Amino acid sequence: MEGKLSKDDHAGAVGSAALTVTSIFFIAIMIIAFTANPIAIGTDVGERAPNVEGKAYNGTSWSEFDFESYFDSTWGEGNISGQWVAMIFMDTDCPYCQQSASNQADWANSYSANNPNWNGPHVNFIASATELNIQGHDSSRAEIQDFRAEYGHGFPYVDDIDQDNMDKWGIPGTPAYFLIQPDGIVAWNSEDKSKTLAGAIEELTPKVGA
Amino acid sequence: MLDNLLIAVYLIPTLFGLFLLSPMGRSTADSLSSRYEILSTVRGQITTGLQIITFFGFAVSAQTFWITSKISEGGNFCTSSTVFSCDDLLGNNDLNVDPFFGMSWGLIGMMVNAFLLFMILVIKNDPNGEYTQRFIQLGTLITGAGILVILLLISYEIEEGKICLYCTTAHIANVAALVGFLRLRKLHDDNAAWKASSAK
Repeated sequence: MEGKLSKDDHAGAVGSAALTVTSIFFIAIMIIAFTANPIAIGTDVGERAPNVEGKAYNGTSWSEFDFESYFDSTWGEGNISGQWVAMIFMDTDCPYCQQSASNQADWANSYSANNPNWNGPHVNFIASATELNIQGHDSSRAEIQDFRAEYGHGFPYVDDIDQDNMDKWGIPGTPAYFLIQPDGIVAWNSEDKSKTLAGAIEELTPKVGA
Repeated sequence: MLDNLLIAVYLIPTLFGLFLLSPMGRSTADSLSSRYEILSTVRGQITTGLQIITFFGFAVSAQTFWITSKISEGGNFCTSSTVFSCDDLLGNNDLNVDPFFGMSWGLIGMMVNAFLLFMILVIKNDPNGEYTQRFIQLGTLITGAGILVILLLISYEIEEGKICLYCTTAHIANVAALVGFLRLRKLHDDNAAWKASSAK
């Protein structure tokens, strides 16, 4: 039986180049993998919180919101001086959001550096107000301002009527809560039904003298 | 200070590669040809220049990918209050990935430069092979498309009011590689010049 084998005269050059480049590529990837420990962007515990963008209302005017300014990348676990962030995703027309709004006002006052009875770090509350795609949930900046005033909230409200932040954070429904460490890493989210936002703050933040 | 020195490590060889593959690099190639025989031909001069450019383009892309990874840990590498602050761009989660697949620009740069390097090595080792023409065209197309990506990334820099020097070095490498592929294409069209055993 006569075998018919074809000979590729160029295979040597291609194979040798492929081997060289693949080796260089994997050496570079290995160096990066051993010297860096990247943290994914996301809303699960241990991930870096996504950005929150838009105009925010602070009680007097609407101005560009700078979410990054709340974080300190040099913060270390156990450091009491770092300020934590409680992120609330809500809709002014959502009945559950209305029910929990009074609690939020209490929490913001309780977990504050201004409360002498609180021995933990200051927690900055931020609300991102959206407009859910449900009939009768039409919203506006004026409605957000009224809602904030009605419940005595002193924290900023970000205009997310276009749902950009909600989409980015993958929020399935409102209200949704997140507790974020001073270095921007998500410490707890309300998918964990075992505790409330207040419970998470009490349990996860460092305390003076603890 | 250290990060500026590190940029020079990538930028100087890239610029040397560009110089080498240009017509002005002929005298340098001649002076080195006694040691590196491949430089005695124009084809060897251009492929060697391209090899240097794509290798350092790959290296600087790997460096930007590493910086992006370190920043995501919470660290910083080249934070500066001046306009030259790569951390502000490489650490921006909205801008440091491509808009379609969310892949880091640094990783994309590594893959593209690795593929360009692969094609250059094949052309260099087997200049009359069946892949030569295809790879020259593909290299021209990829680096040409790279110009559009560079324009997008420059628009990010303008938007943020910051310049990332590592990214700029990678952009220079892409432009230099495009110049090299265009020169290689022109040379390949001239059959006699392509097959010449020495530069005239």
